Parts: sequence; structure tokens; C-alpha cells
Amino acid sequence: MRDQVSVYTNKLIADRSAHAQGIAIAAQDDVLIAGGAPDLARLAGDVLSRLTCLGMVVACPSLPFADFLVARAPAGESCIVPRDTETRTFLHDIPFLRRSDLGADPAPVIARLLGSRKGVVVEGVGIVASGALTVEQAYINYSSVFHSTFVKYLQDVLHHGFILPGEAEAFAAFRSQWLRPLTDEGLAFRSGPLAERDEILDEIATVGRYTVERGLVDSFFGNISCRAGEVIYISQTAASLDSLAGCIDPVPTDNSSTFGITASSELLAHRRIYEATGAATILHGHPKFAVIMSMECAEEGCAITDCWKECDRVRFLGDTPVVAGEIGAGGLARRVPPAIAGPRKAVVYGHGVFTVGETDFADAFRALVSVENWCRGEYFRRLEERLG
Amino acid sequence: MFGWTGTILNIDLSSRAAWREDLSVELLHAYLGGRGLGVRLMRGFHALDPFDPVMPLIFAVGPLCGTSAPTAARLTVVSRSPLTGTIYDCSAGGRFAWRLKGLGVDALRLSGRSETPVTLVVTAGGVEFVDVPELWGQTVPETVAALSGRGSVAAIGPAGENGVLFANIMMGEGNSVGRGGLGAVMGAKGLKAVVVNGDIPVAVADRERFDRARQDVMRLFRASPVIFGELGIAEYGTPALVDLMRQRRMAPTENFRHTVFEGSANYSGPAIRSAYQAKKDGCYGCPIQCKKSTPRGEHLPEYETVSHFGALNGIASLDVIVKSNTLCNELGMDTISAAATLSAWGEVRGRFPGGEEVQRLLVDTALRRGDGELLSLGSRRAARALGRPELSMEVKGLELPAYDPRGAYGMALAYCTSNRGGCHLRAYPISHEILRKPVATDRFSFSGKARIIAIAEDTNAAIDSLVACKFSFFGATLEEYAELLSAATGTEYTPQSLKEIGRRICLTERFYNCANGFDVKDDCLPARFFAEPGSSGEGVDIPPIDRGRFDEELQKYYRIRGLTPAGTFADPDFLLTQP
Repeated sequence: MRDQVSVYTNKLIADRSAHAQGIAIAAQDDVLIAGGAPDLARLAGDVLSRLTCLGMVVACPSLPFADFLVARAPAGESCIVPRDTETRTFLHDIPFLRRSDLGADPAPVIARLLGSRKGVVVEGVGIVASGALTVEQAYINYSSVFHSTFVKYLQDVLHHGFILPGEAEAFAAFRSQWLRPLTDEGLAFRSGPLAERDEILDEIATVGRYTVERGLVDSFFGNISCRAGEVIYISQTAASLDSLAGCIDPVPTDNSSTFGITASSELLAHRRIYEATGAATILHGHPKFAVIMSMECAEEGCAITDCWKECDRVRFLGDTPVVAGEIGAGGLARRVPPAIAGPRKAVVYGHGVFTVGETDFADAFRALVSVENWCRGEYFRRLEERLG
Repeated sequence: MFGWTGTILNIDLSSRAAWREDLSVELLHAYLGGRGLGVRLMRGFHALDPFDPVMPLIFAVGPLCGTSAPTAARLTVVSRSPLTGTIYDCSAGGRFAWRLKGLGVDALRLSGRSETPVTLVVTAGGVEFVDVPELWGQTVPETVAALSGRGSVAAIGPAGENGVLFANIMMGEGNSVGRGGLGAVMGAKGLKAVVVNGDIPVAVADRERFDRARQDVMRLFRASPVIFGELGIAEYGTPALVDLMRQRRMAPTENFRHTVFEGSANYSGPAIRSAYQAKKDGCYGCPIQCKKSTPRGEHLPEYETVSHFGALNGIASLDVIVKSNTLCNELGMDTISAAATLSAWGEVRGRFPGGEEVQRLLVDTALRRGDGELLSLGSRRAARALGRPELSMEVKGLELPAYDPRGAYGMALAYCTSNRGGCHLRAYPISHEILRKPVATDRFSFSGKARIIAIAEDTNAAIDSLVACKFSFFGATLEEYAELLSAATGTEYTPQSLKEIGRRICLTERFYNCANGFDVKDDCLPARFFAEPGSSGEGVDIPPIDRGRFDEELQKYYRIRGLTPAGTFADPDFLLTQP
């Protein structure tokens, strides 16, 4: 279990979601272990020992957005409610604790909140996330909360501007220092058509890793596939895209076997996209600016209240169509294929981006980068417009 | 009262008396319902012989039964198993649970013994003891057909009447209270059937909150490839696992001598759909509808059944497997134990039964005649009687289901720590070791598994007490079900508080078992799994399980549970510390 502490500490550093000196991870088997920043490690252990869980991550996010959300929240509110699909589906909401709630020993009150939810924001401390069965699960939940608070904060700033002292400066630092140019430069893609099984498995694993390294997905969200003949090779559900070796299911297109029951929840969407496009590869990631911009709808007086599920309009972000549809059997597989057939790319409301490649992953990856870059540019254009 | 009714209906079959009692709010809050409530109500009776007339047979519903909470129209039946000697519970769907709750009761507690075959009919008008000598000896479908006009039926078949140690109680819609032989307990009471027909609605404390939580659950169902995925159980039923187990090389074959059966494609989910034009079927009110049946309503077998009547006995004929399943349902016998007992018996005699021979032996088992007399005792007793105890593939006398423990080490541990014997459903590690839900774990590693198994046992004990279907948790989590429960009852629950309740239930069960002599010696797999490899190939190695590592992890489990190295309780007054 000690190796898990090290593995996920390194992942938090590599994905730049936490300060390298502000990470602690705890795990309990028959004994409890905790490692990392001493104060946080003590807190992680104290919280974990109060819960029926195996793993715990306590880390200071690399961006101050979660704390800003807490500080911006009106008095009396106790949770953040981001509107992205991941939060809506898996987190529901994110409870928070203000500094004034913590007292001398914050562990009991944090444990009480974590008894109901997968992750909480503790003002001045960071994000605390539990993993019921594994340390990896705690890492995933930390990653989800980081993603959700990022999306929520940027949406809030777009709508309401800066409110708190220091926000504008922190945001400027985020823009100039944390954000990096997003490109596909330096990445090598196998030229298609991809036909051999081993070649396909290797290329999927490689491109999956690229999507994580370039920040196009949080490591456990998103999926990737390649069709060769009558087989769709697709990443498994809950698979980390930067670690796909052994986690790719070859699924027959005629459903003559069900061992692909472990395939991504978007298997049906991938199948329908292949049918609609004749493409050879599909990438699906959750790049943050595309998620944010997909929820910026200018429609006024619309009667639809459940935009994620019920909106039947096709909007556009530049030349990329945006459609609604929930995960899996929730409608995404019905709405994306017709929208993606022409432009070879599509965004799902609050969720992420699908792109296709005609023979290999190079086009699909470039399209994913391009959509996110357009959304990033558009976000800042609108923000500057709003801030004057 | 919201969610619960606060009432138990007691029936004494000896005196043919019936009376209602209040259930304390404290008890309901602390044990929820279903398995938890039933286990708590067994306190003081847990050391009785399963066939003692005083032994209770408890049908308990949960606080979500009667609401629109997904997959919660279920009940649990609790008693002591004649097959294993352990405390025993089994969850079942069908209309019966809903109709029982509709009588304004949370539990039905049966005790005593009727001198003559009797059926219990409970309606809003009261309790009726109906003598049914003409139904004794009838199959389950015949019995259900005779009684269904009066309400929802739970009945035993000839197997239960004759004391087959793995006899089921069958629900009228085809669901079964399976595995541990509670059908034989019912038969020993002279009780052929129970019919219930209530329709009192269940009050929900906060309808808006409840509906929101229900939407959250349904969203997660739709996001789950195992539930609503195009290759998932809603489409193909649990036989969707056949191909996966073959691919993972952990399909028990020929009494666990091998782990790959080349004929398994004959009974895969797609094969069954194609051969029988399988249509969706399932428990009352369940959105998943994972059961499958033929167009004329014949229930098609589940994964464990197809695999055990198939690979475990070396049978590749889907027709034989389906007929065997139907026969077990009609006779009221557990398919896993029946098939596993046949397989052990087959290995002892050097030839596995096939084709029509299987069906003849199943009938003989239910009627306890010929070879069936021995087979009716289950694999442990049969193998011992034949001088080959090592060929019985069970834990605590409960035959192992269709997940070879050499292919999933959490499963290996969970079979042994399960309080009802070799069962896959207590900790259900297949969920994470194979199906990757909620996260994937390394199936060939023991690392962390002791804690994972303990947590999962607690979680599932809570689920069994709600009572919800475990398949829901391939998508949803206790977060959403705690919200449903809080909204339904008006009492606040969290995932953490539910797991603490689950822990209380698991430890209570363990305490009962220890009181009946169970300890570390009973928490072990058959020697075959530590000595013989499975069927390696296609890049997957299936070695024997490392006994040293297994024992180490078992001791970790005991420490996590607060038990002694012998797997027992240091505190003899443990029960007195519990509500």
C-alpha cells in the first residue's frame, strides 16, 4: 500500500492539480499509514480513521479556485454545485467548510461531511477526498473535485466577474503561468490505416497517454477507440487513459460476444459514431474550456430546464456543434452521431468533446486540440468583453 | 411513521395463532429492515437446530419497499441454514415483498410446526390457516397456480417438503430464496406456501427529495455499462458474464479442475437470446429487468446456473442447461448447489452426469430416492460419505458459485469470510476485480483486499437491509440510496452511517456463527485451490493461490474486524453492546 501513496502523489504532481509540497495520502488496511506533507498527512490519517474507507487524499490545489468559490458563496450556503456532467452524475454537489467551521480539530467535521460525499473543500486546507475501496479512488475523487471547481469558478467569473480581493491577480497568474499552450507538437502518431491488433492496442495506449499529458482529459475521464474490420477496440470503463495497457476491450461489432461488458460506458456512442461517419478512430476527452463553453447558452425564455438531457437543439462553438445527452444510455449516443458526421467533431453539453479520425489518431487528436483552443480563446474573449 | 410500518406479524404454526407486535423505532433505525432486522430478530434463537419447531423463519422487507426506489421491491428471508449451520439470509424480488409491506408490516415471523400441510393466507381481512393436503407434493408452478388468485405466493416444492438441504422458497413470479436450504426449514414447519395480499401505501416523508434522489440513481444506471450498456445485464441478463469469465479464464469447469470450458459460447448471453428469443423480465417495479424468459414465459437461467450446469459438469448443450434450470425451479431447489453437488459426485465416480441423466438425478434429489438421497445432502456431506471430502468445492458447506477463486483473490478471501458460507454476494468483489465498479482492483493481488472485503461486506449488509438489489450498485452508490432512505423515512442517513449499520449486522452474524462453533478452521477454501493451477493460456496465468499470502490476509481481516486470531470474539458479551 505504501507504493500507492507514492504513485498517486506523483500523479497529482504530474497532472499539476496540486502543489507538490501540499500533498498527503493516507490508507488503511489492518493498520493506517499516511505520507506526504506532515500536517496534511496527520489530518488525512485522522479523517480516514473515522471512516469506513480505504484511502484518503488531502491536497492543496495548484489553483485557488476552490477557496475562491467558498469565499464567494453567500453566508448560509454549505456546498458548491457545479453544473458539469461529472458533478451532476457522480458528485451531485461538493460540500465545503469555511475556516470558521474548523475549530481546533477539524478531522471530525471533515469526516462527517465525507461520510456523505466523495470529496469536500476545506477553506485554507484544500480538497479532501476519500476512496471507499482504493487509494486510486481517492485520487479520482480529488481529480473530479478539482475539475468541477475549476469549471464552476471559471463559469462564475464569466458571469459575475471578480468579487474578492486578490482574485484578479490570481486569475491573471493562472492565465499566464498555469495555463500552457495546447498543441500536438512533438507527438508522434502511427499512420493509418491501423489493422494489426497489437499495433492498435499500442497506439491506443500511446494516444491515451498523450491526452492526459496534454491536459485534454482528467486521467480517468474520457475514452478512446479504434475500429478495424468487425472489431472496435475501446478503452475499458474507469480506465486511466495514461495507463491503458491491458485495459482495452476488443468488441465485435455484431455483439456476438459480451466480454466487452467492461468497455467504456460510451461504447454505444462509439459504435453509432462509426456507423454515422465511417471513421477509423474516436477520441473523447473532457477538456475544461470546452466543458465550460458548452454550457454557455444564449437562449432566452427557453422552456427546457434539464439542458443536459432534454435540449434537442444543435448549437455551435465556432464550427463545432454542441448537443445535449447524458452518459451511456442517457441520450448521448443518439444525439452525437448525426451531429458529428459532417464536421468530424462535436461537443456534449457540460460533458466533453468527441472527435474522429479517418484512418488514425492524428486527425482526431488535432481536432480535439483545436476545439479546446477555440473554446479557450472564446472564453477569454468573452471574459475580457465582460470585464471591459 | 414514514418508510417503515413499525409492526411485525407473528405466526405460531403449532397453535395456529397470529398476532401483531410493535417494532421499536430504535431497532428499525439500527437495523433498517430485511437482512439486518431479520438477523437481529434471530437473537436468542441462533443456536437452535434449523429444524427445531421453535426456529423462526423471518420474512422481512425494508423501508424502501413499497416506494418507487429503484430495485427496492424486495425482501429478505432469514433463519439458520440446515445446509451450512450458519445464520442465513437470502434476498428475493417479485411482488410478494410489496404485497407483504402492503399489509402494514415490516416483517413476518413464522415459528412452530403444523401437524398437517398448511398454507398461510394473510390479507387485510386477517390471517387464515388453510389446510392444503392436496398441494403437498405439488410442484412450485402447480402450487402457485392454485393459490395466486388469493395474492402473491411464496411456496416450496417437493424439495422443501422432503428436506433437501438446498431447497428454495420460490416466489410466484419465479424469484427464489436460494442457496442455504430455507425451503427445507419451511417444509419442516409443514408450511407449503404463504400468500399475502396487502395494498396499504407507504408514506414517504419528503416526496420532492425522494424524486430527486431517484433521478440521480437512474442517471447512474444509464451511465453504467454493466447495467444499461448494450452488452450489459439489462440486455442479456447475468449470462452476459459467460464470455467475460471465459476470457478471464476463471469459469469453474469439471468441479473446478479447470477454469476454461470450450463449450461456454453455447450458453453465452447472445447464444441464449438467439436460441430462445429471450425477452426482458424481472422483479416487480425494477427498471433493469435483468431476468430473461422465453416468449411463453419460461424463466431462462442466470449466469451461475448456466455455468454450473454447463462448464462445471462439462455440459455444452444449452437445451439441457435450460431444462435443468426449469426443473430446479419447479421442484424448488437451488441451482448452484444442485449443479455443484452433481459435479462433486461426478468427479468422485469418475464421470460427470450429462443430458437426461442430470434431469433424472435432479428429480431423484428432490424426492430423495436412489442416488438422490445422498445428493440431497449437498456436496460436503455427499463427498464425505463417499470417502472423498476433498472433492467438495464449498466453504462452510455452501457450494462455491461460478467464479473460480484462483482468478480473483478478493473473491477467494470473500468466499471464506462470508457469514453464510461460500457465497459471491456478501462482498461481491467481482464488481471491482472483474467489472471495474466502482473502480478496478488487481484481481491477482491480495494487497488491500482484507480491508476492501470488510468494507464491501458492510456496504452489502446495508444494501440487503434496505432491501435493494446489489446489481443497482454497478451504477449507483450508497450516496444515492442514503438520500432515498432519508427522504423516505425522514431520518437522516449517510453512506457512512449505513456502512456502520452494515458492520453491526456482519458482526452479529459472525457472533452467532462463533456461538455455533465456527472459527478460523471454517474460513478456508478447499485444498485444490492452493495446490492445483487453473487453465492458463492466452497470456493469462492462473496459478494456485499462495496459501501463506491467503492466511496473512485472513488474519488482517480478523484484525480489521476486531476478532481474535482464531476468528472469534474476545468479548463474550458482544451482543449486549448492540442495540
